[in-house]
This record gives sequence, C-alpha cells and structure tokens, in this order.
Amino acid sequence: MGLHLYQIIITLIAAVMIYNGIKNYAKGKSGQTLLKVSVRIIVWGGMAIVAIFPALTNNIATIIGMQGNVNAVILTGFILVFLMIFKLLNAIERLEQQISEVTRKEALTEINQK
Amino acid sequence: MSENPKIYIVIPAYNEEKVIADVIAEIRAAGYQNLIVIDDGSADNTQAVAKNAGVVALRHKINRGKGAATKTGIEAAKLLDADIIVTLDGDGQHDPQDIEKMIAPIRDKKCDVVLGTRLIDPRGMPWYKIMANHFGNFVTWYLFGLWVTDSQSGFRAYSRHAAETINTKADRYEYDSEVIREIYIYKLKFKEVPIAVRYTEYSMGKLQKQGFWNGIKTLYKMVWGLLS
Repeated sequence: MGLHLYQIIITLIAAVMIYNGIKNYAKGKSGQTLLKVSVRIIVWGGMAIVAIFPALTNNIATIIGMQGNVNAVILTGFILVFLMIFKLLNAIERLEQQISEVTRKEALTEINQK
Repeated sequence: MSENPKIYIVIPAYNEEKVIADVIAEIRAAGYQNLIVIDDGSADNTQAVAKNAGVVALRHKINRGKGAATKTGIEAAKLLDADIIVTLDGDGQHDPQDIEKMIAPIRDKKCDVVLGTRLIDPRGMPWYKIMANHFGNFVTWYLFGLWVTDSQSGFRAYSRHAAETINTKADRYEYDSEVIREIYIYKLKFKEVPIAVRYTEYSMGKLQKQGFWNGIKTLYKMVWGLLS
C-alpha cells in the first residue's frame, strides 16, 4: 500500500499527539485525566485512520445517509466544533458568575464583620 | 414598612475619583445620609475618596461590571437592614432631587419597584441615545415580555421585598434588562417615574458607558442568557 506524503504527515502528527497524551497521563501531570487521554486517542487516532484509509469515509457517509463522503466529514466536523464552542461558552459563563460571587463575598466582608 | 423607612442609596462606581465626592455631597444635600459606594475594581482612588467622604465604601478587587457592583450594593443594603434601596449612577448623571419622587410610591406601599425613565421627557438626551434606548426597550420587551419606557436606566428604587425577590446573574449592562425580566417573572408591582438626566462632557467621554459596541455586547449577552 503506497502512502502519499499527506497521509504520512498526518499519521506522524497523530502518533506524536497520542504519544504525548499517554506519556503525560502516565507521568501523572496535573490536568491529565483518563477521559482527556481517551478523547485524544479517539480524535487523533480517527484522523490517522481516515488519512490512511480514506475510503472509510464512504462507508461513514452511507451509514449517516449523506451524499458524498467529504460532505459527511465536513458536516460531522462542524457539528462537533459547534458543540464544543457551546460547551466552552457555558463553562465560561459559569466561571464568570463564580468569579463575581467570590468578588462580592470578599467586598461584603467588611459589613459582615460588623 | 415603618413610618420612617431606612433608605439606602447604592452607587456603583468605576474610575469616578474626580466626581464621586461631589455626587456624595449632592445626595447628602438632598437629605439622604445612608450611602453605599461600590468601587468596581477602579484603577484610581474611587474607594478612598468615598471613604474620606464618610460613606460605606466597598470595593471589588477586580472589575466585574455595573450589574455586579449594583448587586453587591443591594446585598450590602440588605445586610444593613434597608427598607428602601435606591440605585443611581456614580458619574453625576442622575439628579438626587429626583430620589424623593422615586421612593414615594414604595413608601406609600403603592408598588415594589420604581423605574426612573428618561424617555417620558427626553429633553437634553442626545438623539442617538434616544434611538438606542428605544431599541433596547424593544429587545427587552421581545425577550423578557415586559414593555417599559426606559429599560436601560440605572436610577431605580426597590422595596425590601423586591430586593429580596429579584435574583440577577448578569454582571454588566445587561443587568438593567434582567431586572425587568425579574419584575415580569415575579409579578412585582412597578411604576415609572420621569427623571432628569445630565449629560456632561465628563460623563459622555467615559469609555465604559453603554456605547454602540457595548450595546451590541449587551444584546448578545441577553440572547445568550436565554439560549444557554
């Protein structure tokens, strides 16, 4: 099976990302959880598999019911990105409120102590 | 409510060291002695100037926005057993002589919230601010279900009951609209009272005021708050 240059590059990048994720998790670095590693393996592993076996996307498109494998990949990518943005914005909103609560409690200390 | 209700004036302020002493003096001259200034993380000496003037001067260590500062002030007033709480801007735009007509309906138990409105008599208000306010009123009505003539005014008065009922989460300029939503949700009795507004070179020149881009951000936050 002859691989094109782009397939080799994507596979190498994916391999490095997966390796770093597993290494950081194994070393117990802060912020690294099993969920994060799993997501990293799925995302980058999936990219490597699609790069090496591009015909797989035809099967995915057929399963989803989309015309054209490229459309299926792009649409799936868009949906995932939108979901991530939505989650991130919600998380930011919650953090902002928590920051305000803490700031308020601190400001009211003077009155609470009286 | 007692015959002599305890009235607290809450003044959120951001970088107002040049005018806050005059604002405090003017409110005192109008007959109100219970003042709470909330310095919203100012880079200048707003809190120190307010403290020197002898009022309760609280400070947010970091800037959280006018809405957050107003809420802190209302919480402080509740802790100090306020019966009626009046909020007004710290830049001198609001005339303390209007406080009496703001609190009279609450003192007379006719309503729980009084909203100061600039648009019943908008003399002196720049035309673009009038247009922006009309748009703000429309958006507030569309999203939150209650039509008021000035949804963005910071000059308001609350009974103790309203202060304990209203629970806002908005930190910045969308706070003013969120209060309208709370009035609608909790069916609080409210009244609109015309207020004077003084647009000075100082107040119009402030970057953090509700200008066009801040207005767009406010709109986005109001819509996002409903979707999330």
